Amino acid sequence: MDTLLQLAIGNLLSPMVLFFALGVTAGWLKSDLAIPEAISKGLSLYLMLAIGFKGGVELASNGVAGAVAVALVLALALSFCLPLLAYALLRAATRLDIPNAAAVAAHYGSVSIVTFVAATGFLGYRAIPYEGYVVAMLALMETPAIVTGLLLARRSNAAGPTASRAPFLSREVAREVFLSGGVVLLGGSFAIGWITGDKGMAVMAPAIVDPFKAVLAVFLLDMGLLVGRRLHDFRAVGWPVVAFGLYMPLIGAMIGLLAAHAIGLSLGGMTLVAVLAASASYIVVPAAMRLSLPQANPAIYIPLSLAVTFPFNLIVGIPLYYAGAQWLVAL
Amino acid sequence: MTQLYRKKRIEIIVEAARARAIIEMIEAVGAKGYTIVPNVSGKGNRGIRDEAHLSDVFRNVMIIVVAAEEIVRRIVEQSQPLLENYAGIVVVSDVEVIRDEHF
Repeated sequence: MDTLLQLAIGNLLSPMVLFFALGVTAGWLKSDLAIPEAISKGLSLYLMLAIGFKGGVELASNGVAGAVAVALVLALALSFCLPLLAYALLRAATRLDIPNAAAVAAHYGSVSIVTFVAATGFLGYRAIPYEGYVVAMLALMETPAIVTGLLLARRSNAAGPTASRAPFLSREVAREVFLSGGVVLLGGSFAIGWITGDKGMAVMAPAIVDPFKAVLAVFLLDMGLLVGRRLHDFRAVGWPVVAFGLYMPLIGAMIGLLAAHAIGLSLGGMTLVAVLAASASYIVVPAAMRLSLPQANPAIYIPLSLAVTFPFNLIVGIPLYYAGAQWLVAL
Repeated sequence: MTQLYRKKRIEIIVEAARARAIIEMIEAVGAKGYTIVPNVSGKGNRGIRDEAHLSDVFRNVMIIVVAAEEIVRRIVEQSQPLLENYAGIVVVSDVEVIRDEHF
């Protein structure tokens, strides 16, 4: 069993994290290095397809219906409930007003697919297996938090002038959330992997297994560039809120670890559920918040989830949550 | 010489998330068409607005309508409440067009 320090250094010196660091540095220094938008979209589609397909195949060969159902219920519960905790912390410890606190809370109940993919890369590096249906948990955790966030905002500003005008979860928001390209591809590949099983894997493996880690490294270079360019936005966010972006993932991960342990997931599965509970959305939730809660300021919630929590989870969080899972398994 | 007709041109720069609502309003007040420039960037009272390829949150679009004065006035009035809490710039100018029946 590696020590925490060895894990942290091993993670820090992986190509994934080093490419990410290169991107952050280049972005921060305003280098003109850029990955063309179409390519970066393509890379992210590739990653979703690969992760969904592998999860589906894994489920087809090792799925136990009861355990899967319990895990999916846990995923929904985490996504619905984490924003309540996040909201309470934000209202107590920061000066964010109700719409902003509710919007930020929704981000922290939802998940970052890239963080999850990076965590599977971390596990793959160490040849640690995980339950395939954790991918389905990922897909389920994206949206419930949005509902909780909007309820939190609505409950307390019924008197506000704009409150009644925006319909709650309009058709437009529902489409944005349930039919966003990422969700459709992830869910669809998961289903195809599940239907075709090992035979399907034999067809897809040359494209989605070996190149996966290298593609992930290139994608993280791109993410680093985005984060680096957003580092200048910190001042608008304020230190108490930045601090929230660092301690909330720790609290979420702890809850995730304990819950995953309670339902009997493996070391890899526990690590991934901790990562899910710790991560914050920066694609689907911001889009939904702009449509349904326009009073909340995107210059707060996007830098917070993208430039604070995402790098924290990638660099410190993943090895830390893995160490926590190892500790729980050894108990 | 080709005949020219006086019209009003209204330009609305708005964040992508709100574009759909604005376009629905433009059609509802009776404009016969519109033009969309899908990616415009610049700087205003919300800081630098640039396309960020993760989501549409920092992306602006420009919607252009050329129409009779009466219709443009309705668009101006109805865009005001739609732009509350969103990035938006509305500019109206006098223009001349050929092919009157298109507007």
